[in-house]
Amino acid sequence: MIPALAHIPDSTPRRRASRSLARRTADAIGAAVAEVLVNSEVAARPGLLQRIDPRVKLISIVGFAVTASFVHSVSALSAMIVLTLVLAAASRVSPVSFVRKVMASAGLFAVLLAAPAATAWITPGHAALTLGPLTVTSEGLYIAVRLIARVVAGAGFGLLVVWTTRWTDLLRALTAMKMPDLVVATLAMAQQQIMSLLRTVENMHLARESRMLSRGTARENRGWVTERMAFVAKKSFKTADDVYDAMLARGFAGAMPSLVRLKTAPRDWFWLSGCTLTVALLLVADKMGNLR
Amino acid sequence: MTDTGTPAATPPATTALAYELAGVAHVYPGGGTALEGIDLAIAPGEHVAIVGANGSGKSTLLKLLDGLVFPDRGTVASFGRELTEDALEEPSFRREFRGRVGFVFQDADVQLFCTTVFDELAFGPLQLGLDADRVRARVDEIAAALRIDKLLDRAPWGLSGGEKKRVAIASVLTMHPDVLLLDEPTNALDPRSQVWLVELLADMKGAGATVVVATHDLSIVEDFADRVVALSEEHRVAADGTVQEVLDDRDLLLAVNLIHEHAHRHGSLRHEHVHGHSTGHDHGHA
Repeated sequence: MIPALAHIPDSTPRRRASRSLARRTADAIGAAVAEVLVNSEVAARPGLLQRIDPRVKLISIVGFAVTASFVHSVSALSAMIVLTLVLAAASRVSPVSFVRKVMASAGLFAVLLAAPAATAWITPGHAALTLGPLTVTSEGLYIAVRLIARVVAGAGFGLLVVWTTRWTDLLRALTAMKMPDLVVATLAMAQQQIMSLLRTVENMHLARESRMLSRGTARENRGWVTERMAFVAKKSFKTADDVYDAMLARGFAGAMPSLVRLKTAPRDWFWLSGCTLTVALLLVADKMGNLR
Repeated sequence: MTDTGTPAATPPATTALAYELAGVAHVYPGGGTALEGIDLAIAPGEHVAIVGANGSGKSTLLKLLDGLVFPDRGTVASFGRELTEDALEEPSFRREFRGRVGFVFQDADVQLFCTTVFDELAFGPLQLGLDADRVRARVDEIAAALRIDKLLDRAPWGLSGGEKKRVAIASVLTMHPDVLLLDEPTNALDPRSQVWLVELLADMKGAGATVVVATHDLSIVEDFADRVVALSEEHRVAADGTVQEVLDDRDLLLAVNLIHEHAHRHGSLRHEHVHGHSTGHDHGHA
């Protein structure tokens, strides 16, 4: 069941009145729920990565992400970014949504983090650009671009795993890869409880809005949001206790045995071989200085 | 219900009561009485409705019966063995007791903590140590019986309220319990799901299971219960008798806040009568 707030709005541009903090919070919560639901829909599409065994996919994509942290040349990192876009397209993920998400989640953060490194204060060198007292050096710029490219490539690969794998399959893959049962169970419960709490918070905001005759002052809204945050924190503790009771009631004694038996197909091995070859080529080219 | 695996628990001794509570009192961790002076005996195979207003202690009583909380005074025994924290620390008794008693929580969201419905149904049998084939057989059997077999691959959080309740009940039934405890099972259920639930409880009676349901929904009580225990707002047993004895006692139901005085007009005629949350009433006029 998709909450009302989670429906994707039509794209018709229209002027909107400025929204209260409470309303923006409710909208953000709705968007968070919607994103999980959209992710489930993307993971169910018949794309390239969706067809790969979750364990093989996890290993290969994590392999790419780790490789991105080892290569030094911007060209190699750029090639990896292009690879994420190709894989996204082959997996029926909208490249626009993909780029937007990667940039919003990691790209902007990386830019903010890397920007100081481009200046002469942090990285002395040949001046490439001077803006008043600020001098950007070409050496610093190269370092900053490399850092940003590395983060974007890593985030892109991470996002590909998350978007093209059902959450349940991802947890199964972690179980099959000998991740401790308790860790997997905690991840599973965390997701369920976060979804449950998100719905609670969304309903609280809507209930308040339905009884409000005015938008209230910013101070009132902040106070209300803060108070509700405390309420949700308290509720989450109680929920955690209840979940634990529910586990005990069904015999939980500390272990989470599973019946998961994943099977690989020839295409999984073909995919893994291709990924290994690609990683090897990237590392060799980077090492030999063929790429800069 | 077909048993496709080794029973999780040894069969209960025929002479032992399913539950025997003597002078039980329980206080909430933050203070405040939850239950006071509860004496109660439940025989194997009985279907008991625990009724009472919100806050009367029904949920706490069920948690006591499931060994999730323990009395501050008095004793709770199940099938001849006292339920204490120490007793439930013993792996053999814990396994036996958890396999024998199933608890369906009021809020299905807290009960559904696995990644898929299949895992949810398999959780209990796996904890009981059943082998993979038996676990799968039980999951298939219960999923088919509760008509949730098409949901097995779904994540529980994405289900509707009625589906969640079915899965929560199924997750307990896969353990083949002798005793089923249900806390406000009709909460948030649509009418069709409520009918389904009442039919399921009737089936449980046919299977010889002991069923204890905490509810303030009087409409379902006479459909499944042999006996009704009413808790007062003072957290004590106010009445313990047959369904007719308790539900026909208007003064009692008014006293425990399960029905209330109600007055309204039909044109120029004003009249008063008692009114329950779900019990029908006859106005005696057109």
